[in-house]
Amino acid sequence: MPRGQKTSSFLVCAATFILLEVAALALLHASSTLQDIWLTRATHRTMAFLWGSGETVRTQFQLERLNRELQSENARLQERLRAYERGEADREELARMAEREAASYRYTPATVVKMSRNRTRNYIILNKGSEDGIRPQSGIISDRGVVGIVESVDKHFAYGLTLMNPEMSIGARLDSSDVVAPLSWDGRSTGRALVRNLPPHYEVAPGDTVRTSGYSSIFPPGVPIGITGGSRLVDGSTRQVEVMLFQDFAALRYVTVVENLERTKILSLIENTEDAR
Amino acid sequence: MRLSVLKYILLMLAQVAVWNYFDFSPYVMIAFLPALILCLPIAWGPVISMLIAFATGFAVDFLVTGQLGMTSLALVPVGLLRRGVVRLVFGSELFARGEELSFYRQGWQKFLLCTVILTAVNLVIQIWVDGAGMYSLGFNVLKFGISLLVSTAISMAIAFLMLEPTGERWK
Repeated sequence: MPRGQKTSSFLVCAATFILLEVAALALLHASSTLQDIWLTRATHRTMAFLWGSGETVRTQFQLERLNRELQSENARLQERLRAYERGEADREELARMAEREAASYRYTPATVVKMSRNRTRNYIILNKGSEDGIRPQSGIISDRGVVGIVESVDKHFAYGLTLMNPEMSIGARLDSSDVVAPLSWDGRSTGRALVRNLPPHYEVAPGDTVRTSGYSSIFPPGVPIGITGGSRLVDGSTRQVEVMLFQDFAALRYVTVVENLERTKILSLIENTEDAR
Repeated sequence: MRLSVLKYILLMLAQVAVWNYFDFSPYVMIAFLPALILCLPIAWGPVISMLIAFATGFAVDFLVTGQLGMTSLALVPVGLLRRGVVRLVFGSELFARGEELSFYRQGWQKFLLCTVILTAVNLVIQIWVDGAGMYSLGFNVLKFGISLLVSTAISMAIAFLMLEPTGERWK
Protein backbone atom coordinates (compact mmCIF):
# COMPACT_ATOMS: atom_id res chain seq x y z
CA MET A 1 0.00 0.00 0.00
CA PRO A 2 1.46 3.42 -0.97
CA ARG A 3 2.51 5.61 1.89
CA GLY A 4 0.01 8.40 1.10
CA GLN A 5 -2.85 5.97 0.96
CA LYS A 6 -1.72 4.44 4.24
CA THR A 7 -1.71 7.86 5.90
CA SER A 8 -5.14 8.79 4.61
CA SER A 9 -6.47 5.37 5.64
CA PHE A 10 -5.07 5.92 9.12
CA LEU A 11 -6.63 9.39 9.31
CA VAL A 12 -10.02 8.10 8.19
CA CYS A 13 -9.80 5.29 10.68
CA ALA A 14 -8.85 7.66 13.54
CA ALA A 15 -11.56 10.16 12.58
CA THR A 16 -14.20 7.41 12.46
CA PHE A 17 -13.09 6.09 15.82
CA ILE A 18 -13.22 9.52 17.45
CA LEU A 19 -16.55 10.30 15.83
CA LEU A 20 -18.15 7.05 16.97
CA GLU A 21 -16.78 7.30 20.48
CA VAL A 22 -17.97 10.89 20.80
CA ALA A 23 -21.36 9.82 19.48
CA ALA A 24 -21.49 6.99 22.01
CA LEU A 25 -20.54 9.36 24.82
CA ALA A 26 -23.17 11.85 23.70
CA LEU A 27 -25.79 9.10 23.66
CA LEU A 28 -24.71 7.94 27.10
CA HIS A 29 -24.71 11.51 28.36
CA ALA A 30 -28.27 11.98 27.19
CA SER A 31 -29.72 8.63 28.18
CA SER A 32 -28.35 7.82 31.63
CA THR A 33 -28.50 10.09 34.65
CA LEU A 34 -25.79 8.28 36.58
CA GLN A 35 -23.38 8.28 33.67
CA ASP A 36 -24.40 11.84 32.89
CA ILE A 37 -23.35 12.95 36.38
CA TRP A 38 -20.17 10.94 36.16
CA LEU A 39 -19.28 12.32 32.75
CA THR A 40 -20.09 15.89 33.85
CA ARG A 41 -17.90 15.44 36.92
CA ALA A 42 -15.10 13.98 34.82
CA THR A 43 -15.44 16.84 32.35
CA HIS A 44 -15.27 19.41 35.14
CA ARG A 45 -12.25 17.69 36.63
CA THR A 46 -10.52 17.64 33.27
CA MET A 47 -11.35 21.26 32.60
CA ALA A 48 -10.11 22.26 36.05
CA PHE A 49 -6.89 20.37 35.42
CA LEU A 50 -6.42 22.02 32.03
CA TRP A 51 -7.21 25.49 33.35
CA GLY A 52 -4.97 24.90 36.38
CA SER A 53 -2.13 23.76 34.14
CA GLY A 54 -2.63 26.73 31.85
CA GLU A 55 -2.64 29.06 34.80
CA THR A 56 0.54 27.46 36.15
CA VAL A 57 2.28 27.89 32.80
CA ARG A 58 1.07 31.48 32.53
CA THR A 59 2.26 32.20 36.08
CA GLN A 60 5.66 30.72 35.27
CA PHE A 61 6.06 33.21 32.46
CA GLN A 62 4.92 36.06 34.69
CA LEU A 63 7.22 35.20 37.57
CA GLU A 64 9.75 37.92 36.75
CA ARG A 65 7.08 40.63 36.67
CA LEU A 66 5.44 39.24 39.82
CA ASN A 67 8.83 39.26 41.54
CA ARG A 68 9.35 42.91 40.64
CA GLU A 69 5.87 43.78 41.88
CA LEU A 70 6.46 41.87 45.11
CA GLN A 71 9.78 43.63 45.63
CA SER A 72 8.22 47.06 45.20
CA GLU A 73 5.29 46.04 47.39
CA ASN A 74 7.76 44.82 49.99
CA ALA A 75 9.66 48.11 49.85
CA ARG A 76 6.41 50.06 50.25
CA LEU A 77 5.36 47.93 53.21
CA GLN A 78 8.78 48.28 54.86
CA GLU A 79 8.58 52.04 54.46
CA ARG A 80 5.12 52.04 56.03
CA LEU A 81 6.37 49.81 58.83
CA ARG A 82 9.27 52.18 59.53
CA ALA A 83 6.87 55.14 59.52
CA TYR A 84 4.58 53.25 61.87
CA GLU A 85 7.49 52.41 64.15
CA ARG A 86 8.61 56.05 64.10
CA GLY A 87 5.03 57.11 64.90
CA GLU A 88 4.88 54.54 67.66
CA ALA A 89 8.13 55.88 69.14
CA ASP A 90 6.78 59.44 68.90
CA ARG A 91 3.55 58.39 70.59
CA GLU A 92 5.49 56.63 73.35
CA GLU A 93 7.62 59.75 73.84
CA LEU A 94 4.49 61.93 73.98
CA ALA A 95 2.88 59.53 76.43
CA ARG A 96 6.02 59.66 78.60
CA MET A 97 5.98 63.46 78.44
CA ALA A 98 2.28 63.60 79.35
CA GLU A 99 2.89 61.19 82.21
CA ARG A 100 5.84 63.27 83.43
CA GLU A 101 3.76 66.42 83.15
CA ALA A 102 0.84 64.82 84.99
CA ALA A 103 3.23 63.65 87.68
CA SER A 104 4.51 67.17 88.22
CA TYR A 105 1.07 68.45 89.24
CA ARG A 106 -1.09 67.46 92.18
CA TYR A 107 -4.84 67.92 91.94
CA THR A 108 -7.00 68.41 95.00
CA PRO A 109 -10.76 68.78 94.72
CA ALA A 110 -12.34 71.50 96.83
CA THR A 111 -15.66 73.21 97.36
CA VAL A 112 -16.19 76.95 97.17
CA VAL A 113 -17.12 78.27 100.61
CA LYS A 114 -17.36 81.92 99.72
CA MET A 115 -16.68 84.04 96.68
CA SER A 116 -17.07 87.68 95.66
CA ARG A 117 -17.96 88.82 92.17
CA ASN A 118 -18.85 92.47 92.43
CA ARG A 119 -15.65 94.00 93.74
CA THR A 120 -12.59 95.36 92.03
CA ARG A 121 -10.52 92.64 93.68
CA ASN A 122 -12.59 89.49 93.90
CA TYR A 123 -11.65 86.58 96.11
CA ILE A 124 -12.60 82.97 96.65
CA ILE A 125 -12.44 80.83 99.77
CA LEU A 126 -12.16 77.05 99.52
CA ASN A 127 -12.83 74.35 102.13
CA LYS A 128 -9.37 72.82 101.87
CA GLY A 129 -6.27 74.10 103.67
CA SER A 130 -2.68 73.30 104.45
CA GLU A 131 -3.67 70.05 106.17
CA ASP A 132 -5.12 68.96 102.87
CA GLY A 133 -1.87 69.74 101.09
CA ILE A 134 -2.94 73.08 99.63
CA ARG A 135 -0.04 75.51 99.16
CA PRO A 136 -0.06 79.20 98.24
CA GLN A 137 0.53 79.99 94.57
CA SER A 138 -1.46 76.97 93.45
CA GLY A 139 -3.90 77.28 90.58
CA ILE A 140 -7.66 76.97 90.96
CA ILE A 141 -9.45 75.47 88.01
CA SER A 142 -12.82 73.92 87.28
CA ASP A 143 -14.19 71.74 84.55
CA ARG A 144 -15.02 74.98 82.64
CA GLY A 145 -11.54 76.48 82.86
CA VAL A 146 -9.32 78.77 84.96
CA VAL A 147 -10.82 80.20 88.17
CA GLY A 148 -7.95 81.85 90.09
CA ILE A 149 -4.86 81.42 92.21
CA VAL A 150 -4.50 80.44 95.89
CA GLU A 151 -3.09 83.39 97.76
CA SER A 152 -2.85 82.09 101.31
CA VAL A 153 -3.91 79.08 103.35
CA ASP A 154 -4.73 78.16 106.90
CA LYS A 155 -5.22 74.65 108.23
CA HIS A 156 -8.66 74.09 106.79
CA PHE A 157 -9.30 76.83 104.29
CA ALA A 158 -7.62 78.45 101.39
CA TYR A 159 -7.98 82.02 100.25
CA GLY A 160 -7.52 82.81 96.60
CA LEU A 161 -7.90 85.55 94.06
CA THR A 162 -10.19 84.87 91.12
CA LEU A 163 -9.46 85.80 87.56
CA MET A 164 -11.65 88.84 88.21
CA ASN A 165 -8.72 90.81 89.63
CA PRO A 166 -6.97 93.49 87.62
CA GLU A 167 -3.58 92.53 89.12
CA MET A 168 -3.87 88.91 88.13
CA SER A 169 -2.31 87.97 84.86
CA ILE A 170 -1.89 84.47 83.45
CA GLY A 171 -0.05 83.26 80.41
CA ALA A 172 -2.50 82.45 77.60
CA ARG A 173 -2.00 80.75 74.27
CA LEU A 174 -4.18 81.16 71.20
CA ASP A 175 -4.97 77.81 69.60
CA SER A 176 -4.76 78.85 65.95
CA SER A 177 -1.50 80.80 66.05
CA ASP A 178 0.15 79.35 69.21
CA VAL A 179 1.13 82.87 70.17
CA VAL A 180 1.50 83.44 73.92
CA ALA A 181 0.49 86.63 75.69
CA PRO A 182 -0.71 87.73 79.16
CA LEU A 183 -4.42 87.54 79.89
CA SER A 184 -6.16 89.58 82.57
CA TRP A 185 -9.65 90.67 83.56
CA ASP A 186 -11.08 93.63 81.72
CA GLY A 187 -12.26 95.07 85.08
CA ARG A 188 -15.84 95.54 84.06
CA SER A 189 -17.86 92.42 83.25
CA THR A 190 -17.84 89.02 85.02
CA GLY A 191 -17.43 86.97 81.86
CA ARG A 192 -14.80 88.84 79.90
CA ALA A 193 -10.99 89.20 79.90
CA LEU A 194 -8.37 90.69 77.62
CA VAL A 195 -5.29 89.24 76.01
CA ARG A 196 -2.85 92.13 75.85
CA ASN A 197 0.46 92.92 74.23
CA LEU A 198 0.03 90.72 71.21
CA PRO A 199 2.32 91.65 68.35
CA PRO A 200 0.25 93.81 65.97
CA HIS A 201 0.84 91.64 62.91
CA TYR A 202 -1.15 88.73 64.41
CA GLU A 203 -4.61 88.61 62.99
CA VAL A 204 -6.88 86.93 65.53
CA ALA A 205 -10.14 85.57 64.22
CA PRO A 206 -13.14 85.56 66.58
CA GLY A 207 -13.98 82.12 67.97
CA ASP A 208 -10.41 80.98 68.52
CA THR A 209 -9.90 79.01 71.77
CA VAL A 210 -7.64 80.47 74.44
CA ARG A 211 -5.83 78.13 76.85
CA THR A 212 -3.19 78.40 79.54
CA SER A 213 0.31 78.48 78.13
CA GLY A 214 2.01 76.47 80.87
CA TYR A 215 4.73 79.13 81.21
CA SER A 216 3.49 80.43 84.56
CA SER A 217 4.55 77.47 86.75
CA ILE A 218 1.12 77.69 88.39
CA PHE A 219 -1.28 76.29 85.80
CA PRO A 220 -0.63 73.25 83.67
CA PRO A 221 -0.65 73.93 79.95
CA GLY A 222 -3.81 73.55 77.90
CA VAL A 223 -6.44 74.44 80.51
CA PRO A 224 -9.24 76.19 78.60
CA ILE A 225 -9.95 79.84 79.44
CA GLY A 226 -12.36 81.15 76.81
CA ILE A 227 -12.83 82.04 73.18
CA THR A 228 -11.69 85.13 71.37
CA GLY A 229 -14.00 87.96 70.37
CA GLY A 230 -13.00 91.16 68.66
CA SER A 231 -9.46 92.53 68.59
CA ARG A 232 -7.99 96.01 68.19
CA LEU A 233 -4.66 97.76 67.97
CA VAL A 234 -3.60 99.69 71.06
CA ASP A 235 -1.40 102.72 70.43
CA GLY A 236 -0.58 101.24 67.08
CA SER A 237 2.03 98.99 68.64
CA THR A 238 0.22 96.11 70.30
CA ARG A 239 -2.94 94.17 69.67
CA GLN A 240 -5.53 93.55 72.32
CA VAL A 241 -8.02 90.70 72.02
CA GLU A 242 -11.26 90.35 73.87
CA VAL A 243 -11.87 86.91 75.45
CA MET A 244 -15.24 85.51 76.52
CA LEU A 245 -14.49 83.32 79.53
CA PHE A 246 -15.80 79.76 79.67
CA GLN A 247 -16.10 79.99 83.40
CA ASP A 248 -19.40 81.30 84.73
CA PHE A 249 -18.40 82.64 88.16
CA ALA A 250 -22.01 82.96 89.24
CA ALA A 251 -22.50 79.19 89.00
CA LEU A 252 -19.19 78.06 90.49
CA ARG A 253 -19.44 75.46 93.27
CA TYR A 254 -16.75 72.83 92.89
CA VAL A 255 -13.16 73.50 91.90
CA THR A 256 -9.84 71.71 91.72
CA VAL A 257 -6.68 73.10 93.23
CA VAL A 258 -3.70 72.29 91.12
CA GLU A 259 -0.21 72.53 92.55
CA ASN A 260 2.93 72.44 90.47
CA LEU A 261 5.22 70.13 92.45
CA GLU A 262 8.26 71.36 90.60
CA ARG A 263 7.50 75.03 91.10
CA THR A 264 10.05 75.37 93.89
CA LYS A 265 12.77 73.82 91.76
CA ILE A 266 11.93 76.08 88.84
CA LEU A 267 11.92 79.22 90.98
CA SER A 268 15.14 78.15 92.66
CA LEU A 269 16.77 77.64 89.30
CA ILE A 270 15.65 81.06 88.10
CA GLU A 271 16.84 82.69 91.32
CA ASN A 272 20.25 81.00 91.24
CA THR A 273 20.77 81.91 87.63
CA GLU A 274 19.86 85.54 88.21
CA ASP A 275 22.13 85.70 91.28
CA ALA A 276 25.01 84.31 89.27
CA ARG A 277 24.64 87.16 86.79
CA MET B 1 -22.93 -14.74 3.84
CA ARG B 2 -26.62 -14.57 4.58
CA LEU B 3 -26.18 -17.37 7.07
CA SER B 4 -23.39 -15.46 8.72
CA VAL B 5 -25.55 -12.36 8.99
CA LEU B 6 -28.37 -14.38 10.44
CA LYS B 7 -26.03 -16.05 12.91
CA TYR B 8 -24.61 -12.65 13.84
CA ILE B 9 -28.09 -11.24 14.52
CA LEU B 10 -29.17 -14.30 16.47
CA LEU B 11 -26.05 -14.25 18.62
CA MET B 12 -26.50 -10.55 19.20
CA LEU B 13 -30.03 -11.29 20.40
CA ALA B 14 -28.55 -14.00 22.56
CA GLN B 15 -26.37 -11.36 24.19
CA VAL B 16 -29.49 -9.25 24.71
CA ALA B 17 -31.21 -12.20 26.33
CA VAL B 18 -28.25 -12.90 28.59
CA TRP B 19 -28.09 -9.31 29.78
CA ASN B 20 -31.85 -9.08 30.16
CA TYR B 21 -32.63 -12.36 31.87
CA PHE B 22 -29.45 -13.79 33.37
CA ASP B 23 -28.18 -11.63 36.14
CA PHE B 24 -25.87 -14.10 37.84
CA SER B 25 -23.87 -11.89 40.11
CA PRO B 26 -22.72 -8.28 40.36
CA TYR B 27 -19.20 -9.66 39.89
CA VAL B 28 -19.93 -11.17 36.50
CA MET B 29 -20.58 -9.44 33.22
CA ILE B 30 -20.87 -11.84 30.33
CA ALA B 31 -19.84 -10.15 27.11
CA PHE B 32 -19.38 -12.12 23.90
CA LEU B 33 -20.03 -9.30 21.46
CA PRO B 34 -16.24 -8.83 20.99
CA ALA B 35 -16.14 -12.39 19.67
CA LEU B 36 -18.82 -11.47 17.12
CA ILE B 37 -16.77 -8.48 16.03
CA LEU B 38 -13.67 -10.66 15.84
CA CYS B 39 -15.47 -13.07 13.52
CA LEU B 40 -16.38 -10.43 10.94
CA PRO B 41 -14.77 -11.06 7.55
CA ILE B 42 -11.05 -10.33 7.58
CA ALA B 43 -11.31 -8.21 4.44
CA TRP B 44 -13.45 -5.67 6.23
CA GLY B 45 -11.31 -2.81 7.43
CA PRO B 46 -11.43 -1.08 10.80
CA VAL B 47 -13.85 1.61 9.64
CA ILE B 48 -16.51 -0.95 8.68
CA SER B 49 -15.77 -2.96 11.81
CA MET B 50 -16.21 0.10 13.97
CA LEU B 51 -19.46 1.08 12.27
CA ILE B 52 -20.84 -2.43 12.76
CA ALA B 53 -19.61 -2.43 16.36
CA PHE B 54 -21.33 0.91 16.98
CA ALA B 55 -24.57 -0.28 15.40
CA THR B 56 -24.44 -3.56 17.33
CA GLY B 57 -23.81 -1.74 20.59
CA PHE B 58 -26.62 0.69 19.87
CA ALA B 59 -29.08 -2.12 19.12
CA VAL B 60 -28.09 -4.06 22.23
CA ASP B 61 -28.35 -0.99 24.44
CA PHE B 62 -31.72 -0.20 22.93
CA LEU B 63 -32.99 -3.69 23.67
CA VAL B 64 -31.38 -4.15 27.07
CA THR B 65 -31.03 -1.20 29.39
CA GLY B 66 -31.99 1.83 27.41
CA GLN B 67 -28.64 3.35 28.35
CA LEU B 68 -27.77 4.14 24.75
CA GLY B 69 -24.07 4.47 24.01
CA MET B 70 -22.69 2.30 26.80
CA THR B 71 -22.03 -0.85 24.73
CA SER B 72 -21.13 1.15 21.63
CA LEU B 73 -18.51 3.01 23.61
CA ALA B 74 -16.89 -0.27 24.67
CA LEU B 75 -17.33 -2.09 21.37
CA VAL B 76 -16.01 0.51 18.91
CA PRO B 77 -12.40 0.13 20.21
CA VAL B 78 -12.78 -3.62 19.64
CA GLY B 79 -13.67 -2.86 16.03
CA LEU B 80 -10.67 -0.59 15.75
CA LEU B 81 -8.20 -3.08 17.22
CA ARG B 82 -9.61 -6.21 15.61
CA ARG B 83 -7.37 -6.33 12.52
CA GLY B 84 -4.31 -5.29 14.48
CA VAL B 85 -4.83 -8.04 17.04
CA VAL B 86 -5.49 -10.62 14.31
CA ARG B 87 -2.33 -9.55 12.50
CA LEU B 88 -0.36 -9.70 15.76
CA VAL B 89 -1.63 -13.15 16.74
CA PHE B 90 -2.20 -14.93 13.42
CA GLY B 91 0.46 -13.19 11.32
CA SER B 92 0.32 -11.21 8.08
CA GLU B 93 0.08 -14.33 5.90
CA LEU B 94 -3.62 -14.54 6.65
CA PHE B 95 -4.18 -11.18 4.99
CA ALA B 96 -1.77 -11.97 2.15
CA ARG B 97 -3.59 -15.16 1.33
CA GLY B 98 -7.00 -13.57 1.76
CA GLU B 99 -8.14 -16.32 4.08
CA GLU B 100 -10.83 -16.11 6.72
CA LEU B 101 -10.38 -17.05 10.34
CA SER B 102 -10.79 -20.73 11.07
CA PHE B 103 -10.63 -22.78 14.22
CA TYR B 104 -9.31 -25.71 12.28
CA ARG B 105 -6.52 -23.92 10.45
CA GLN B 106 -5.31 -21.46 13.04
CA GLY B 107 -5.94 -23.53 16.14
CA TRP B 108 -7.94 -22.68 19.26
CA GLN B 109 -4.96 -21.33 21.23
CA LYS B 110 -4.53 -18.36 18.91
CA PHE B 111 -8.25 -17.78 18.95
CA LEU B 112 -8.15 -17.83 22.71
CA LEU B 113 -5.44 -15.20 22.79
CA CYS B 114 -7.31 -13.01 20.31
CA THR B 115 -10.55 -13.35 22.23
CA VAL B 116 -8.90 -12.60 25.56
CA ILE B 117 -7.33 -9.39 24.23
CA LEU B 118 -10.47 -8.06 22.58
CA THR B 119 -12.77 -9.13 25.42
CA ALA B 120 -10.42 -7.51 27.93
CA VAL B 121 -10.51 -4.22 26.02
CA ASN B 122 -14.28 -4.37 25.90
CA LEU B 123 -14.71 -5.30 29.56
CA VAL B 124 -12.29 -2.68 30.86
CA ILE B 125 -14.28 0.09 29.20
CA GLN B 126 -17.68 -1.35 29.93
CA ILE B 127 -17.05 -2.06 33.64
CA TRP B 128 -15.41 1.33 34.12
CA VAL B 129 -18.22 3.29 32.43
CA ASP B 130 -20.97 1.15 33.95
CA GLY B 131 -19.57 1.74 37.44
CA ALA B 132 -19.56 5.52 36.85
CA GLY B 133 -16.96 5.96 39.59
CA MET B 134 -19.25 4.41 42.24
CA TYR B 135 -17.32 1.23 42.88
CA SER B 136 -13.88 0.72 44.33
CA LEU B 137 -10.93 -0.27 42.20
CA GLY B 138 -10.78 -3.65 43.95
CA PHE B 139 -14.38 -4.42 43.07
CA ASN B 140 -13.84 -3.42 39.46
CA VAL B 141 -10.66 -5.48 39.17
CA LEU B 142 -12.36 -8.56 40.64
CA LYS B 143 -15.36 -8.09 38.40
CA PHE B 144 -13.05 -7.68 35.41
CA GLY B 145 -11.12 -10.87 36.22
CA ILE B 146 -14.18 -13.06 36.73
CA SER B 147 -16.00 -11.55 33.74
CA LEU B 148 -12.97 -12.07 31.52
CA LEU B 149 -12.74 -15.74 32.43
CA VAL B 150 -16.43 -16.43 31.92
CA SER B 151 -16.81 -14.23 28.83
CA THR B 152 -13.74 -15.72 27.15
CA ALA B 153 -15.05 -19.24 27.65
CA ILE B 154 -18.42 -18.37 26.17
CA SER B 155 -16.82 -16.27 23.44
CA MET B 156 -14.80 -19.28 22.30
CA ALA B 157 -18.00 -21.23 21.79
CA ILE B 158 -19.61 -18.24 20.06
CA ALA B 159 -16.62 -17.89 17.72
CA PHE B 160 -16.81 -21.56 16.94
CA LEU B 161 -20.45 -21.17 16.00
CA MET B 162 -19.84 -18.08 13.94
CA LEU B 163 -16.96 -19.29 11.81
CA GLU B 164 -17.88 -21.55 8.96
CA PRO B 165 -15.88 -24.79 8.97
CA THR B 166 -14.37 -24.07 5.55
CA GLY B 167 -10.88 -24.60 6.90
CA GLU B 168 -11.46 -28.27 7.36
CA ARG B 169 -9.99 -29.03 3.98
CA TRP B 170 -6.79 -27.22 4.96
CA LYS B 171 -6.33 -29.45 7.95
